[in-house]
Amino acid sequence: MSTLTALQEILIKDYAIPRERLMPDALLSSLGVDSLGMLELMFKIEDRFDLKIPGDPPTGLATVADVVAYVDSLITAGPGRHGPS
Amino acid sequence: MIGRRIAVTGMGVVTPLGNSLAELSANLGAGKSAVRRLAPSLAARLRSPIGAPVDFDATPRFDPPRLRMLDRVSQLALEATGQAVSHSGIDFRAEDLERCGVFVGSGMGGATTTDEGYQALYAEGSDRIKPYTVLAAMTSAAASWIGIDHGITGPNITFSTACSSSAVAIGEAALRIAAGAADVMIAGGAEAPLTFGVLRAWEAMRTLAAENLADPSASCRPFSLNRSGLVLGEGAAFTILEDWNHALARGATIHAELSGYGLTCDAVHITRPTVMGQAGAMRAALRSAGLDPNSIGYINAHGTATVQNDATETEAIKTVFGDDAYRVPISSTKSMHGHLLGAAGALEFIITVLSLREHLVPPTLHLDVADPACDLDYVAAGPRRVAPFRAAMSNSFAFGGTNAVLIAEGRQT
Repeated sequence: MSTLTALQEILIKDYAIPRERLMPDALLSSLGVDSLGMLELMFKIEDRFDLKIPGDPPTGLATVADVVAYVDSLITAGPGRHGPS
Repeated sequence: MIGRRIAVTGMGVVTPLGNSLAELSANLGAGKSAVRRLAPSLAARLRSPIGAPVDFDATPRFDPPRLRMLDRVSQLALEATGQAVSHSGIDFRAEDLERCGVFVGSGMGGATTTDEGYQALYAEGSDRIKPYTVLAAMTSAAASWIGIDHGITGPNITFSTACSSSAVAIGEAALRIAAGAADVMIAGGAEAPLTFGVLRAWEAMRTLAAENLADPSASCRPFSLNRSGLVLGEGAAFTILEDWNHALARGATIHAELSGYGLTCDAVHITRPTVMGQAGAMRAALRSAGLDPNSIGYINAHGTATVQNDATETEAIKTVFGDDAYRVPISSTKSMHGHLLGAAGALEFIITVLSLREHLVPPTLHLDVADPACDLDYVAAGPRRVAPFRAAMSNSFAFGGTNAVLIAEGRQT
């Protein structure tokens, strides 16, 4: 499963955002995910992707695609970690 | 009350006895108890595994992004205030919103959120506490959300005086209106204490009732010799209070007049109540209403079913009412809806208004064994139809000693 699909599933299941609004260029703030919601989303990403996010996420994460790219960079960097299953 | 008259124009409830005025009224009139054995996950580690929960599903009521910021106490508060606002028919868009306010009573605020945070930190050894924890747990959150919901920009205050919190919130809101500082107030209280941490803490104080194994719903026995303590309940109850002329001018239905409010503090002991403090609050309420005890046709007692409270309250009523103490019907509806702590005073004030309006006195259930220290008329045989009466009193006392008494009078022009 791609990172995008896995992230979309989290946002559909836990944030009740309709799938059709979860385009890669969709702004998270317009989907109801504010700055604290973003921090909460990082917990869910850590669990879903078996990652450890060091400190706070970068402030520039605005769109769904931004988060996907960030998660992918963590997956690539993390030795011994595996991607979404 | 000195100053402008106060109209009660709206009421809303989410309670163990139902999530509407109609349901609440029907269950009180039927003398039904909502006390029950709690879910196995909670009950397993409790010596007193009983409570009075509310049947309310927040999921369809709130958008997911908002719901994640709302502790159960705020969810219940928003639902009850929504009902109260529609019941009153008020349109806040037509009001001077700086002359409207929100006064909320809550003892413990977002207790579920606090409990979950500690669970993550201490029990699970995780550092992942939810980013919304502070916003959801702060005691003032419910009041803030109510203000946001209706765009109310006047005074927004949370009162926390333990079990009298929401009676204080209603009384203080009335004073604001009486003094001319506000025209419309949303006033009431909310509490959601049915979490393991809170239940266990109350249990540790030895204040909770023992479970009646044969019939858990009969565990709370106010004024009965075999009473063994209180039963915790959850819920929210809110009123819309309005300057009398403001209510008349917009053609509102006035359900009662809030004519008396008395407030004292025992200032003696953190838990032990005093006759003097309770009697002082009742006297102050009568004085502010300009009423004699013989005008009171019903007292909704604080009646927690603890040994101390019920005997002290009985003595205090006798001190204030004299021979009239034996005439006036008194009941503790906590026998049915449990003790809603910070929301108790508001719920019981609303029950008092319903009783005044419907001439129906709700009973004290499970008063099976007479206590010589509690020898008044507690309406133990069941709900009682009575002749129309002028005024009714609602008592709210508290750990910490803040005693608040409210008086409602029937609609007069």
